Amino acid sequence: MAQDQSARAVLRLVPSTAEDACPSQWFCGHCGAPPPNNETPAPPARVCGECGLGLLLEARADTAPKPDEPFMIVDASMAVCALSAASESLLAVAETDVINRPITELLTPADAEANGPEGLANAIMWAARGEDEPRRLMVRPANVFGVRMPLRVGACGPPRAALLVLED
Amino acid sequence: MRYLKTSEAASLLNVSPNTLRAWERRFGFPRPQRSPGRHRLYTHGEIAALRDALLDGLSISSAVSRAREGLGADTNALVGALNAFDAPRADAALEGALALRSLDRTVQEVLLNSLDEIARRHGTESVQWAFAARWGNSWLRRAQRLVTAGPESATIVLGDASRDELDPDAAYIRALELLAMRSGARVLGLSVRGVANMSEALAAQRPDAVVIAGGALSDDAVARWAYAVRLGAGPLPIAVYRRGPQRARMRTTGTTILPPTPGEAARTVMELVSHAAAGMATRTHTPARLVADGA
Repeated sequence: MAQDQSARAVLRLVPSTAEDACPSQWFCGHCGAPPPNNETPAPPARVCGECGLGLLLEARADTAPKPDEPFMIVDASMAVCALSAASESLLAVAETDVINRPITELLTPADAEANGPEGLANAIMWAARGEDEPRRLMVRPANVFGVRMPLRVGACGPPRAALLVLED
Repeated sequence: MRYLKTSEAASLLNVSPNTLRAWERRFGFPRPQRSPGRHRLYTHGEIAALRDALLDGLSISSAVSRAREGLGADTNALVGALNAFDAPRADAALEGALALRSLDRTVQEVLLNSLDEIARRHGTESVQWAFAARWGNSWLRRAQRLVTAGPESATIVLGDASRDELDPDAAYIRALELLAMRSGARVLGLSVRGVANMSEALAAQRPDAVVIAGGALSDDAVARWAYAVRLGAGPLPIAVYRRGPQRARMRTTGTTILPPTPGEAARTVMELVSHAAAGMATRTHTPARLVADGA
């Protein structure tokens, strides 16, 4: 007896649900320098060998700051956890003075920002929750008017936090 | 109390000794004590707290901040116990603090800070302050009795010009006595109210320096006492500690104003004594050399 060919199970090619592999990069939370040979640091050896003043963190390669690029690390409660040396001189504040202070004391959304004033908070919250895709928006220093600085926001860690890089 | 040398502390944190010194300069933490040879000595508790904070930290700054908060918990525990009029709990809180710090730092960072906090919160007329000041002074006197007698390098006469045990300066003066004793000095503590028969006390002790501490009694009372000391022991280096606003009224020519923290004050007094001894040795030696040179 001939089998009904139309009832047989078949395999069909469908789009993959696996995420594309994104290259990541480690950098120092103070000077932005990568670890020697870009190796993943062992957990007890996360202090930067270049400057000794920051911990090595991991972020997507397209989000990670270049050495000497101004950046800061903010946790999910919007508190500043690290400020790079370049940010210290750009914003004229010392890291030790702003640790655990709200990020809004340093940066606010730029005037007439297209994403609205809540864009910065949203971007930080998503990044601190681990969303990989970097977001871009415009900000200004909290005490300076008439300035627009491009900012890219992405996830970094461990532990999970938002990386804010002020772009040239 | 366990102490670590710089190399041991650096190895525990997995950083170089230079990095550890850089952290001390930038963050003021971990803050080492100095050995008699001026080498850094770190308390194990501080280093362990920092290591734990670094393990899940995002930056050195935030790890230092967390480690400091952890150590600050001792002050909160002591303030809580004193506010609850619970002396056994206060004793236990200070014993807990001693597990992480040296006695000198426990006194300065936990005990005196807690007393200051209670005075600030409730005022020095409050019952909380009355209880805390009495407990603090009693603890410091107990600690003084436990100081092991070593080879005493100097004798200091300390003129106590505080009002009484409830004077906010009193605990600082007890702390200065304690830390000077731990630095190897014999301390003869006298109230500046007592002037009669001063020469008998001074003949028994032969002091090397005089410290006038506390700001409650008048300059006249202090001057009378200092004059009696000078009559009995001759000219000695004089230092002034916590004379407060009255300091502006005092003639301070030739006196040393001591820093407000008892640890630094004790160090300054010991330096004063050693400089005076060195100066005396030079003065006694110089004529002999001139004679030998035929001058």
